[in-house]
Amino acid sequence: MGDSAYSFSLTTFSRTGKLLQIEYALNAVSNGRTALGIAAKDGVVICTDKKFGSSLVDSGEVRKVERVHEGAGMVYAGVGPDYRVLVRKARKSAQSYHLEYKEPKPITQLVKSTASVMQEYTQSGGVRPFGVSLLVAGLDADNTPRLYQVDPSGAYFGWKATAIGKNYVNAKNFLEKRYQDDMELEDAIHTALLTLREGFEGEMNGGNIEVGVVGLDGKFRVLTESEVQDYLDEAN
Amino acid sequence: MSILEYNGAAIIAMTGSNCVAIASDNRLGIQYQTVAMDFRKIFRMNDSLYVGLAGLATDVQTLDQLLRFRMGLYELREEREMSPEVFTNMLSNLLYEKRFGPYFAEPIIAGLDEKNMPYLATMDLIGAISKTKDFVVAGTAEGNMYGMCETLWKPDMEKEELFETISQALLASVDRDALSGWGGVVHLITPEGVTTRHLKGRQD
Amino acid sequence: MFGTDLTIDQDILSIGSSKHDAKSRPIGSGCLHAPPLDLNPTSFPLAPCPDPASFTRSNFASACGNSDSHQQVKFAKGTTTLAFKFDGGIIVSVDSRSTMGAYIASGTVKKVIEINPFLLGTMAGGAADCSFWERNLGMQCRMYELRNKKRISVASASKLLANTMSSYRGYGLSMGTMITGWDETGPQLYYVDDDGTRLHGRYFSVGSGSTYAYGVLDTYYRPDLTVEEAIDLGKRAIYHACHRDAMSGSINNLYHVTKDGWVKIHAIDVNDMHYEFLEEKANAMSS
Repeated sequence: MGDSAYSFSLTTFSRTGKLLQIEYALNAVSNGRTALGIAAKDGVVICTDKKFGSSLVDSGEVRKVERVHEGAGMVYAGVGPDYRVLVRKARKSAQSYHLEYKEPKPITQLVKSTASVMQEYTQSGGVRPFGVSLLVAGLDADNTPRLYQVDPSGAYFGWKATAIGKNYVNAKNFLEKRYQDDMELEDAIHTALLTLREGFEGEMNGGNIEVGVVGLDGKFRVLTESEVQDYLDEAN
Repeated sequence: MSILEYNGAAIIAMTGSNCVAIASDNRLGIQYQTVAMDFRKIFRMNDSLYVGLAGLATDVQTLDQLLRFRMGLYELREEREMSPEVFTNMLSNLLYEKRFGPYFAEPIIAGLDEKNMPYLATMDLIGAISKTKDFVVAGTAEGNMYGMCETLWKPDMEKEELFETISQALLASVDRDALSGWGGVVHLITPEGVTTRHLKGRQD
Repeated sequence: MFGTDLTIDQDILSIGSSKHDAKSRPIGSGCLHAPPLDLNPTSFPLAPCPDPASFTRSNFASACGNSDSHQQVKFAKGTTTLAFKFDGGIIVSVDSRSTMGAYIASGTVKKVIEINPFLLGTMAGGAADCSFWERNLGMQCRMYELRNKKRISVASASKLLANTMSSYRGYGLSMGTMITGWDETGPQLYYVDDDGTRLHGRYFSVGSGSTYAYGVLDTYYRPDLTVEEAIDLGKRAIYHACHRDAMSGSINNLYHVTKDGWVKIHAIDVNDMHYEFLEEKANAMSS
């Protein structure tokens, strides 16, 4: 890479002091399918939809909510293949943390190391920023449920509830109205699905919605199609 | 002579009821020549975690520095203290990294865990962990110390009795070991804090 | 040859006789069948191999330091002993520790061997070698007294031991001893060791802690010390050796030899001495 014509960083300042590549990356995110998450008092839920241009796509083969380690998972909005790279790196860092300390990597550490990777790609030579924003769910070292958002710039934020991707402004407005501090995980899952429905064209079902939850037991789980369907049915 | 016995050491750690104690002798020698009588072999990692290192003095000091380095980074990164369990695993990995050119030191880890329960562990010089509920020993007087601990230790000692027991076990052990002694030091770790006492021992 | 068939006409002082004796005798041959309690020093059973000396040396040596670390059998050792002549006689001062590797086997070893009321020997190196051969020396000295109706000189006594050592040279014996006493020529001090060395001198120190003791002796020794000063010097030298040498320690036994024979002066715990000298140092600093 050192000798190539693009060995300099592609993310360079514009005359006005903006990093345009990062702004473009954020555009890619806002074009992506909506993803959202809610941190309840006894767990976290993250979810997104799997809607494709063609009905011929086998949605069962598409995974958007991914487990990083036993107690943490993430979802994205933006460029799918970029997301897979981040998941792979996050999983690897979680494993090497476990190898060193024989303890699951705390969610804060996971977010920080993932954010570092994303930041590195805004400054390194020959690479472009990741075209994704992430929502990371898990328990903190003191067992409190946490929800984080990580952006292409490497910036990260902790949220009670938030949304990214297409229609995220509307989704966040909706969440602001519905969120309550003493919310339980079950309510949070319903609220999450309800929020998703606001921007969803067509009918939501277990096959085109993906939900991941982590409870106080510290186990992150991607819900099965039928579980998602059950939650959707309850709401009707 | 084994390189582990080049400088001489005697370290004991014992559990009590909601407390642990760790004690060492003070000698630093070069084989049979006594060089110093105020050599530190037990190191404070945090208020409820101490580590004793028995073996080659240069490696003892290097390991202390490395452990403080790694712990310092961990605490800054994670904004919390390292638990004894995590510390043990970290040290074990630190030692195994040098599997084919080890640090010549055997560590003893003594502390209180998050629930203030006593925690004791030891490992060999390449990091094989072994955890105990009663006592652990390391150093040139190992055989002597096992003998003393087996006879003097009993479960659920209160802190004053624990102090007395570990002190007697240490002093009696080093009096039968040529390579350790010349006084000792005891750290008594309780949820309220650590008490450090210096023991007067035979000077020969 | 000493023992039951010792003949009167055999001159025990004929220098080197026992050595020639030992050499001319087919050593080891038939010795395997020697009666079990025969302490005749020239008839020890030897290993049935082509070179019994080297076999013994490499398997049963009790040399100082770690030179026996390869051996299956290790002997107790580690010592500080010293003795010096002065105007008031001789001081013999020793520690009492016995170590097997790093293990302290005993803290109450008598390292001064009372050969007879006028002769003292010290013990450094192999405990068994020292006590056996110095006891053997006592026997030889008594034989001399009976035969010649007078006490043996320290020169002769030490020579007897040196000859014995010479005859077993190469067999891995370990002995560093000082033979002291008062004879017709006055106070005498000899150093004798396992390779047959025999030295006459004013002061010696032997054992793993000897260097520390020499440090004190070299600094404070004078021939015109008073008896009290001499006792204090003997005590101090042993204390400093015990403090720094891991293989020396426990109790300081100190003897004084005069024209009337030896007297045991004291047996003091070295640890008590430490605090005695510490206080002395503090007083010296404050005044």
